[in-house]
Amino acid sequence: MITTTNLTKKYGDFTALNNLNLDIKPGEIYCLLGANGAGKSTTINLLLNFIQPTSGTALINNIDVTRQPLETKKYLAYIPENLMLYPSLTALENLDYFSGIAGKSLNKNTMESFLEEAGLQKEAFNKKIKAFSKGMRQKVGIAIALAKDAKLLLLDEPTSGLDPKAGNEFGMLLKNLKLKGVAILMATHDIFRAKEIATHIGIMKHGVLKHQFKANDLSLAELEKHYLETMNY
Amino acid sequence: MIRKTIIKELKEIFRDGRFKFSALLVIILIAVAIVIGSNQYKNTNKQYEISQNSERNVWENQGAKNPHSAAHFGTYVFKPKNALALLDQGVDKYEGISIFLEAHSRNEAQYSAAGDQTELSRFGELTSDFILLYVIPLLIIIIGYNSFTKEKEGGTYVLLKSQGISNLKLAIAKLIAVYIPVFIICSVLFLTAGIVLSSLSNYSAFSWDKLLSLYLTYLLYYLVFAQIVLLISTSTKRSGISLVSALSFWILSCFIAPKIAANMAEIKYPYPTKQEFITSLEEAKKGGLSGHNPWSKEAKKLEAKLLKEYNVRHVSELPFNFSGYIMQKGEEHEAEVYFKAYGKLKEQFSNQANTYKSIAFISPFLPTRFLSMGIAGTDYESHMSFAEAAEDYRIQTQKFLNDNNMNNSKYGERGYKADASFWKTLPKFNYTAPTLDVILKQQNTNMAVLVLWVFISGLLLFISTKKI
Repeated sequence: MITTTNLTKKYGDFTALNNLNLDIKPGEIYCLLGANGAGKSTTINLLLNFIQPTSGTALINNIDVTRQPLETKKYLAYIPENLMLYPSLTALENLDYFSGIAGKSLNKNTMESFLEEAGLQKEAFNKKIKAFSKGMRQKVGIAIALAKDAKLLLLDEPTSGLDPKAGNEFGMLLKNLKLKGVAILMATHDIFRAKEIATHIGIMKHGVLKHQFKANDLSLAELEKHYLETMNY
Repeated sequence: MIRKTIIKELKEIFRDGRFKFSALLVIILIAVAIVIGSNQYKNTNKQYEISQNSERNVWENQGAKNPHSAAHFGTYVFKPKNALALLDQGVDKYEGISIFLEAHSRNEAQYSAAGDQTELSRFGELTSDFILLYVIPLLIIIIGYNSFTKEKEGGTYVLLKSQGISNLKLAIAKLIAVYIPVFIICSVLFLTAGIVLSSLSNYSAFSWDKLLSLYLTYLLYYLVFAQIVLLISTSTKRSGISLVSALSFWILSCFIAPKIAANMAEIKYPYPTKQEFITSLEEAKKGGLSGHNPWSKEAKKLEAKLLKEYNVRHVSELPFNFSGYIMQKGEEHEAEVYFKAYGKLKEQFSNQANTYKSIAFISPFLPTRFLSMGIAGTDYESHMSFAEAAEDYRIQTQKFLNDNNMNNSKYGERGYKADASFWKTLPKFNYTAPTLDVILKQQNTNMAVLVLWVFISGLLLFISTKKI
């Protein structure tokens, strides 16, 4: 679903991302670990074509993201760390609009079931986003991603700001989506959650992908050790 | 995508307190302007009817009198109030509303509305054209200045982009959404004006096709503003900067550009002062034929020519009264002098108007201002058309009176009087405003400039969406 070849992004002398080669297949959850500024968000922004690569290519569903940006958007859904919605519209109206942009016209019942699946309490469906907490907005964002029925999820620290229960529910949701064959790329700081849900884990530092593991090949303790070693090195 | 975006934008707009407040304000202002305007219009029309009838009565009942005395006695003609002045007062306030028609002199229109008001009127009145030309563009700015910047500031733009929105479609949808409230307000205003005007009795020169062209003119004007406001919103990062830039554009195009244009026109083609104008008229008249001076060189020349033509020795042997004849010839000469002098003024005016038109491209306000006044029949050209019709009528009246003198009295006869019933036979003055196609022909460059603004601002907007 995602293939990057020597993907590099430079800002003047500073290299934000250096020769990244990723290959994520349907049904895989790839968790990118790393400190702030390691290049995780840069990777996701490159895949979204929000920024242009200095060199290398990124393909989504074998389509070049810089050449056909609109086409690649059809297959993906994106949840940023701090998901923002239209404050004067209700949860349902926001969901309706964002799915409409993606070309989906959903009836009210379907939309409500997506919001429910995302874990938003029923009373909030018709409330304006103004009054929502970050966690509630994040849930509407998840509903938007679910409604899009995407083949690929790009998640940039999606669980930061969610309470542990909501974080857990979110993890379960991702596992379900994995079973449906959705490919997921998630940038996160949460080693425990990563170990729990990921099929593959990568550790990044200074724009370089230092290590890649299959999640089943090592224990949480080993993962933590590797992570800390990479960071201290 | 476009439809969903329009619905979403409209929801946001109508839930916005600023919009609710300003739209309400605009609607109240419009209602007040229309009520005041239509009352004023009714009053003016009534006064017009009364004055016209009583003036005709005075003329018809002046009794048995020498026709040339009647010519000096004179009569007034009155300018009918144009129906669409309800929507655009133009320069009406500063133009006289009646012209005194008499022998030998072409008089200026007198009694302008501004002349009857205090200095406070200098500060402007609440008129529909003020709302149409200044306030509604401001409303467009309030609706649209943050149309794009709010997406960037609110962080919704990343989500929109990740959902695969096309910037072009987004811009089209936002343009339509910004335009819809303005379109509704403008349509309601014009429809109300149309209903009010067509229900008034004795409305003069009200035609739906003029109203429709005025309506279309304003719709284009608002489209230009909507496109420019969105263009600014796509090109700026913050709503505050977008608002200030849009307001600067509004001030530049609606307040500063007209003044620059007026100054440029006046510097390039100065109008003569009233004194200069009158002096030059006197000069031109002096050397020529005068009906009251049969001993002048010009009069003698004419006499000799006439004697030769009719093969008589003395003017008393002519088949008509020479006094009447020379009076008419003098009148014709004077009319010619006036025609030339006013022709020069008119030329200067059209030079100024052309200067204006040639710089109309610096602001969408200028072509709209002129088109609007022109169609409403309240610009200076409309006033000139009335003044010229009055002058034609004056010339015809003089000929009518002189002919009576010439054919019914003898040379040297003192005390000839036309019958008291004679005055009734003078045709009434009847002025009809120019039709729409005549006006549109005069205004073709303004129309072209306005349409150009629509295309260029639209093009720039759609180019700017490529790099939001």
